[in-house]
Amino acid sequence: MVSGKGTLEGKVAIVTGGGTGLGKAMALALAKEGADVVVGARRLEPIEQTAKEVRDMGRRGLAVSTDVTDSKQVNNLVEQTLSQMGGLDILVNNAGIVRGQQRREFWDITDEEWHLGIDTNLTGSFFGCRAASKHMVEQKSGKIINIASGEGLRGVKGNLMYSVAKGGVVQLTRTLALTWADVNIQVNAIAPGFIDVSALQPVVRQGFGGRMAEFNPSGRIGVPYDISSMCLFLASSASDYVTGGLFVVDGAGLAGGYTPTGYAPIKNLEEE
Amino acid sequence: MVSAEFGLNGKSALVAGDSRFWSKYVSVALAEAGADIAVAGKDSKKLDEAVTEVQRLGKKAVAITTDTTQSTQVQKMVEQAVAGLGKIDILVNAADLEYAKPFVDITEKEWNRVMASNLTSVFLTCQAVGKHMLKQEKGRIINIISCLAERGMINGAAYCASMGGVLEITRTLALEWGRNGIRVNAIGAGWPSETETTGAEGEEKLLRYLPLKRYGHPGEIGSMVIYLASDASDYVSGQFMYVDGGIMAHL
Repeated sequence: MVSGKGTLEGKVAIVTGGGTGLGKAMALALAKEGADVVVGARRLEPIEQTAKEVRDMGRRGLAVSTDVTDSKQVNNLVEQTLSQMGGLDILVNNAGIVRGQQRREFWDITDEEWHLGIDTNLTGSFFGCRAASKHMVEQKSGKIINIASGEGLRGVKGNLMYSVAKGGVVQLTRTLALTWADVNIQVNAIAPGFIDVSALQPVVRQGFGGRMAEFNPSGRIGVPYDISSMCLFLASSASDYVTGGLFVVDGAGLAGGYTPTGYAPIKNLEEE
Repeated sequence: MVSAEFGLNGKSALVAGDSRFWSKYVSVALAEAGADIAVAGKDSKKLDEAVTEVQRLGKKAVAITTDTTQSTQVQKMVEQAVAGLGKIDILVNAADLEYAKPFVDITEKEWNRVMASNLTSVFLTCQAVGKHMLKQEKGRIINIISCLAERGMINGAAYCASMGGVLEITRTLALEWGRNGIRVNAIGAGWPSETETTGAEGEEKLLRYLPLKRYGHPGEIGSMVIYLASDASDYVSGQFMYVDGGIMAHL
């Protein structure tokens, strides 16, 4: 990425939730830089498509049906990767679910809804890290990239499980970065802002009246490339001294956010 | 009434450098908790107001006319405060000079004035009062700043930078003087207004955004000031406490 092509040549990456949206964008970006890529998600068809596109680039691509809320399936994803690809260097814990409880009272949230949000967005990342860790520690190298969210840093109304889980992902990232700092495993998180991928469209429309771009200081919604380029940096040796970091890619959304007017009215100093 | 846990009887506080409306409310809060007050600043009307309120509470009050951007005057201010109250246990900085302009239009003079008022004044008062507190092996410094110390805002470069600077002085001094019995914290005020609670019509969007649906009143930081000034907060240092109606929790 930094020095040109092929910085991930010979590396093997796993991307969960790699059949659609950001996950697919990251899987293809990693492949483009030379990595072999294994994609896991519940639905087989989209990840097989991603794997095919990876193979079309001349890399090895593999799809493994995986529900990240089931640790056996996550373990299987890693085992399949090790046996069929012969290694594992990069893990991108991307699988997530954005399902708010809009127009629901807090006390009406069911156990099932809570578990769906927490298990998918947080526990799934834990399962991924756990499954990959032994191999990475033994080979004394690895890159783990967790997809967090600006909502993991600040609150929003009506998206409880997502915000709580993503906040947990940030702490999972920091803790594991410290745990494995001395065995050359870098663990970082990316906090995307609003990115224009199909899975996010309902949120963008419902939450902000379809005018999200207007609210963003950069005047635009993010595109998958904005995230996949950061992913490449964190997956490559360009980031070997970077660990435990949280990388916000949101067009300056979190830098402001103090007022919806977005600016301070002009106020002059009084004459001295 | 302030519970004994947070009581400040026998303590002396110096409230310095107000460009807005803080000194009266801070002085009253500290006096209610039992402290004697020296209030220092340029605006004698503000000082008199604070002194009257403090005296009404039966506490000693000293007004010191000073410019906290000038080191010699700050030196004199500390001497006057110590002469009047015997010592300084608590220093509250509350400069808060408001200023907003498109970045390209900010003149060097204006930039320097905002920095002098909001940042350099804190450097000077902390240094002058800090020497006194280091000798005492005890002290509390409370910097009242804006939550914009941690957020950017269009037209706000000078103001935000000055506030961010104070926050870093806060954190640094908390570390540097941590073993000398001095605690240094900042309070982040979010959208304070002395007169408005619901805002003008044009600010409807803003109010919809404030989680508590109203502006804060400057008096509402009083209890946080008392807590941070009291012995109850002895293990709290280098922190930035928001009194902001929840705005900083917001995405």
